[in-house]
Amino acid sequence: MRRTQGAAYLFLSPWIIGATLLTVGPMLASLYLSLTDYDLFDPPKWIGLDNYRVMFTEDDRFWAAVGTTVRYVLFSVPLKLVLALAVALLLNRPRRGGGLYRSAFYAPSLLGASVSLALVWRAMFASGGTVDRVLAAVGITTGGWVDQPQYALLALVALAAWQFGAPMVIFLAGLKQIPRELYEAAAIDGAGPLRRLVSVTLPMLSPVILFNLVLETIHAFQAFTGAFVVSSGRGGPSDSTLLYTLYLYQRGFTDFRMGYASAMAWVLLVVVAGVTVLLFRGARGLVFYAGEGR
Amino acid sequence: MLERLTRCCVRAVAAATVVAAAATTLTACGGESGGPTTLRFVWWGNEDRANATKAAVAAFEKLHPDIKVETEYSGYDAYFQKLSTQVAGGAGPDLLQLDRATIGEYEHRHVLADLGGMGLHLDKIDANLLAGGKVDGGQYAVPAGQTTQMLVFDPARFTAAGVTVPTEKGQSWTWAQFTDAITKVGAGGVAGTTDFGWAIDWFEVWLHQHGKSLYTEGKLGFDAGDLRTFWTLTGSLRDRKGVTAATATTKMDGSTQNSALVGKQSASEINYDSSLTGYLSSYGAQLAAAPLPSDGKDTGMAAMPPVSFAVSQRSSHKDAAAKLLDFLVNDPAAGKILGATRGLPPNQDIRTQVCGAATGANKAVCDYEAAQRDKVGPAFGAWPTGSSAIKRDFQRTYDDVIFGRISAADGAERVVQNAEHSLS
Repeated sequence: MRRTQGAAYLFLSPWIIGATLLTVGPMLASLYLSLTDYDLFDPPKWIGLDNYRVMFTEDDRFWAAVGTTVRYVLFSVPLKLVLALAVALLLNRPRRGGGLYRSAFYAPSLLGASVSLALVWRAMFASGGTVDRVLAAVGITTGGWVDQPQYALLALVALAAWQFGAPMVIFLAGLKQIPRELYEAAAIDGAGPLRRLVSVTLPMLSPVILFNLVLETIHAFQAFTGAFVVSSGRGGPSDSTLLYTLYLYQRGFTDFRMGYASAMAWVLLVVVAGVTVLLFRGARGLVFYAGEGR
Repeated sequence: MLERLTRCCVRAVAAATVVAAAATTLTACGGESGGPTTLRFVWWGNEDRANATKAAVAAFEKLHPDIKVETEYSGYDAYFQKLSTQVAGGAGPDLLQLDRATIGEYEHRHVLADLGGMGLHLDKIDANLLAGGKVDGGQYAVPAGQTTQMLVFDPARFTAAGVTVPTEKGQSWTWAQFTDAITKVGAGGVAGTTDFGWAIDWFEVWLHQHGKSLYTEGKLGFDAGDLRTFWTLTGSLRDRKGVTAATATTKMDGSTQNSALVGKQSASEINYDSSLTGYLSSYGAQLAAAPLPSDGKDTGMAAMPPVSFAVSQRSSHKDAAAKLLDFLVNDPAAGKILGATRGLPPNQDIRTQVCGAATGANKAVCDYEAAQRDKVGPAFGAWPTGSSAIKRDFQRTYDDVIFGRISAADGAERVVQNAEHSLS
């Protein structure tokens, strides 16, 4: 018995070593750094909870970044999921070339984290860019979105929503799992397409919806690349695209306040974990698991 | 199946969250050994500067076959974002370019090597200029050139608006003439000048014209009232299209790529003359340079290093890095190749030689500097630690002002408050 256990640990060891060195170690290090004044170059100085105190009570930009991030999450996540579900429903019907469309819609997600894509986005939404000119042609003059504080975040939301491919593929997999008999039975009972969507598809899909919601919410809280590239790392104009992670980055790497940045990372971790728990709790009565035989 | 999918993935999600938090403590690693010495040399700037610097480095490599130099350059913001990450991760460059706002920051954090006793030849560099690289009594940086402020403008746009432009070398507009000129140009559609309220550097000149300075002995040399007056001036010009709209001003970072003048959104712009070669190549040779507007005898301008070179304290090839630095600053061949891409050469002998043979864009810089020689003051001292945060806060707050999110008066108060915090 002991020998087999030993073998098990032996085979597990690459993972255990990896997890310890790459995940647990750095996390503990960042927790320690969050309690210090650390400028990246000199040894950290212990200051207790001072970073957290300053963050919550003195730092206006911190709260502005929190507000911007919450707005970003609230706009981008529902928009992205609705788009993903709508397209998944369209693609779910068997038709010629379905695979091609699926790939085409999924492609933006593959490019998702790339810097070049955000650069293209910046050019598109700049004043005199494609979006500006198209809107101007139909009589809407907004100027460049990324150069104006009231529109800049919208450009980022649009960038996020456009990358709906990943949740779409998961929705598609979920849709394929719904037994056809349910639709046939509903049709015999006289249910129209809308009725079938509301009474069959959505309940049967609810675990997948929850999964996508949780995943996308976490992603949105951690969004960084788009905001960084579109604003050249500044979060401007006028701090309108200063997402939480971008401010964290600025504190750490341009203001040389890595201790403070580590504290911000821990606050984000706790908040994201909390939001995830709330989503699961809130969904309890709404999600239908077929296997539970209710 | 679905249930399993959900269950499994909850764990995956939790793991992903954890990894994301841990990722913020990322450190990089690097370094190599054996074979010929390999140096890394990094700077920021435009294509012009990059091409000249690479050519100078190639000349250095030919002279020193045992030293290989890897070069890297980018825009200003990206440069410093990358630099701090690399230095912290132990993968910093050996030779690096810094400016006034950052020499103190990096020296204070023990990143820079004291260049005294490294065999550098600094006797041909003007003492006033050298002072720009002195911190805490040590020479931590060497000026890579000499520059002064300038107003670069397109004469055709001004004459088309019926305004006379300064033609005599070294002649400047008075403030009244200038505001009148730019509002007349602005009436034609293109703003008269790029809004100059964005940069603390131009505010510094304005302060000097009023007998004050940005910093005196590590403390702020101005109060919120001064800044309010300055920003009220630019604000009144914006309403009349004398200066650029907020959407153009917010992109400014001193580079020619993001310049409103180069983007044809304004007819003139304030910058350092070390950028003149960049303006001439990206806008066109018709541009002219004049001193900044001023009312009194004091132009408020100064001869100063646009950028400086420093050697990393953590470099394992400090001597080779110092050799390259010495070559870039003192070698006649390097001087010829580099021209005026970092302002005029800091070495007096090479400056005479370069300017004597200069043509085109380099000649424009030499001519402009020659015309200013008796009008500019000694170099402003190196900025204190905390000044790069102040510089960024200045621009960020001005963004809030030009987009109407805060009044010029409240913005000025905020800059002063935050600055005092950064300096303490």
